[in-house]
Amino acid sequence: MDLSEKLILILSGLPTTLAISILSFLLGFIIGLPLAFVRTYTSKPFQILVDGYEKVLRSVPEIVTMLFLYFGVGGIPAFRFPFKNSFFVATFALGLRSGANQSQVFRSAIRGIGEEQMVAARSLGLSRLQAVFHVMIPQTFIIATPGLGSEYALLVKDSSYSFILGVIDMMRRADTVRKTSLDTVFPYIATALLYILLTFPLATYLDSWGSRKKKELGL
Amino acid sequence: MTFFGVILGLGLGTLLAIGDLYGGRVLSIIIKFYVEFFRGSPLIIQLFIFYYSIPNLLGILIDNHTVGLIVFTLNSAAYQKGYIKGAMESVFEDQMTAALSLGLSKAQSIRHVVLPQAMRVVIPAWSNEFASMAKSTAALLVIAVPELTSNLKAIASWTWRVLETYSFGALIYLIWISVVMKILDIIYNKVKIPEIEITA
Repeated sequence: MDLSEKLILILSGLPTTLAISILSFLLGFIIGLPLAFVRTYTSKPFQILVDGYEKVLRSVPEIVTMLFLYFGVGGIPAFRFPFKNSFFVATFALGLRSGANQSQVFRSAIRGIGEEQMVAARSLGLSRLQAVFHVMIPQTFIIATPGLGSEYALLVKDSSYSFILGVIDMMRRADTVRKTSLDTVFPYIATALLYILLTFPLATYLDSWGSRKKKELGL
Repeated sequence: MTFFGVILGLGLGTLLAIGDLYGGRVLSIIIKFYVEFFRGSPLIIQLFIFYYSIPNLLGILIDNHTVGLIVFTLNSAAYQKGYIKGAMESVFEDQMTAALSLGLSKAQSIRHVVLPQAMRVVIPAWSNEFASMAKSTAALLVIAVPELTSNLKAIASWTWRVLETYSFGALIYLIWISVVMKILDIIYNKVKIPEIEITA
């Protein structure tokens, strides 16, 4: 096996890596954005629930969540579908974790916008929900962009944890190449560089874009 | 593993931060590459590189505990360097100038003026780093270092009580991480410098 063959084999895991990262990011977004607003604007019991969710998902290792869902929940006959599917479990587990992280990102963004805007919107006759949708959310996105960028980068890296469930992503491919070619150096170094290539440019770009926009808007 | 990794990482991270800030251009480019590598690539790959690639290249054997410790130290240092640098540079630029003008050498002013304060400011960021390290130790599973998660896996397959085992394991992680973070929080509130804060 020469180098280009190895590289092609490793790259064949790329779609899976990207699919896990992007889907779990979206799931995290769907969970995180509402949670951030619930945590900021609703009553105590809801806040405690959200805090609990964040605390648990942020302290429990992703690997443990995956094993729990795959072998634990997937072991219950009624839940065999979809929890016996390793791709689904990996995405789902990372998505839940990302939801907790994104909720925190959005929350600090909401705090950054400040209470005044909410008060101003309300005094203009918008309902609370309208104010959230038309005033708060658009600005939240801008402030949250750098945070979301690094969360995405984190997911790309953490998608490699799906390795332990046997999902065939870049990580697993690199391991296969190592096993079949007995080359212990190239596959891992190349794959590490590929991961860096996937994470670094986008995160850096979003970071600078976010800070620029923020300055423009005076937030 | 978490404690040693974080503490060794703190030492190395501090050196890196100092090197980056005061060490000249070449050093800071090298440090940038180092940090990018360890922050940009997955932990599992780093473990494999130190488990398979490096020993093979150098023709030596490293046992898996040492591999874990090396990787966690290097990885944690890459993150902590960022926090410490942030703490040192955002807050203490003027103090450095002041210390120099009082006749302290560069090394003395870093050692006696800048660092003691940076260490206090950096605690909140540091406690996040601790939590993520504690969590990441689960990845040691892949190079067969016995730790909580691999033990859970073993127990689950012996007893077939999968749900209970992993829930219990999750609870252990939750409790011990929360406790340590709470302690760090208390320490921070005791030693924090009023009006100086960085956001993690």
